[in-house]
Amino acid sequence: MGFKIAVVGDQDTVTGFALAGATYTHIYTTKEEALAKLGEFLASDEIGLVLVTHRIVEALGYEFRRMMRAKRLLPLVLRISDKTGYVPKVDELREIIKRTVGAEIMVKREGS
Amino acid sequence: MAVALAVPPTRMELLKLRQRVGLAQRGHDLLKEKMDALVIEFFEVLRRIQEARTKALEQLFVAHRALSMCFAIVGTLETKQASKETRRELQVEISTRHIMGIAVPAVEVREVERNALVRGYGLHMTSSVLDEASMEFERALKLLIELAELEGSAFALARELEKTKRRVNALEYILIPRLKETLKFIMMRLDEMERENFSRLKRIKAMLEERG
Repeated sequence: MGFKIAVVGDQDTVTGFALAGATYTHIYTTKEEALAKLGEFLASDEIGLVLVTHRIVEALGYEFRRMMRAKRLLPLVLRISDKTGYVPKVDELREIIKRTVGAEIMVKREGS
Repeated sequence: MAVALAVPPTRMELLKLRQRVGLAQRGHDLLKEKMDALVIEFFEVLRRIQEARTKALEQLFVAHRALSMCFAIVGTLETKQASKETRRELQVEISTRHIMGIAVPAVEVREVERNALVRGYGLHMTSSVLDEASMEFERALKLLIELAELEGSAFALARELEKTKRRVNALEYILIPRLKETLKFIMMRLDEMERENFSRLKRIKAMLEERG
């Protein structure tokens, strides 16, 4: 079954991925709008992948994390860097590792 | 110190408890094995994420550069216009795969890169830099889709790992000690009762002998 792709991001990111064939896009303006749109994307059955830029994730903050916890397996949500290549220092995945595996986090750091 | 359960100290209860301890122990061992397997799986996924992420981010950076170029040469408005005209119906195949009973996403990446002709924007008004930007973004998207699959798996695995860990710990540090404590309590109690009985019998015997 085919799934479509949605993008929430700044103007440039959205333009780029629209050129690449992403079906749904939302250009970030206000927090409320972005949250509503994101909720819509997450509830949709035909969207399989939602790309969100790190900057917006940070702007949305707590609400975004709550949405992530509440969502089903699909659609997948992937955080991407925007034009400036901005990636936050604190990696969420790394946080999870810290919580679940405890001290073993160093094992991974070596490999990276 | 674990608190013993409130059960009547009877032989019946002792037998039942012994069974429960056995069961809990077996469950604990199984869960622990599951956790170990999950950790191995998890780290494997993490390693692959690391690789995929570097690749994807690099490609994304290249794509953004191409797009900036396009903005500069073709013009911002024209580029946006083209992005609106583009055929935007890219589809990805996503199904679920099971790693040890955990549903993780499995994404099948079909060819994302397209020919300039099928993209849908008018060719006579646009420049080849636009084609290039589109192509770079398609490449980036392909890598990102792969990355999304891995990250999805990692999150699913992490969630399961957390759950399993909680269960293992609950069994190891709460349920099993508590059951053992109760077991001990009942055994002590039964021994005590036996001793009481014994001394009672002795006493009765002594009393009977005195009388007779």
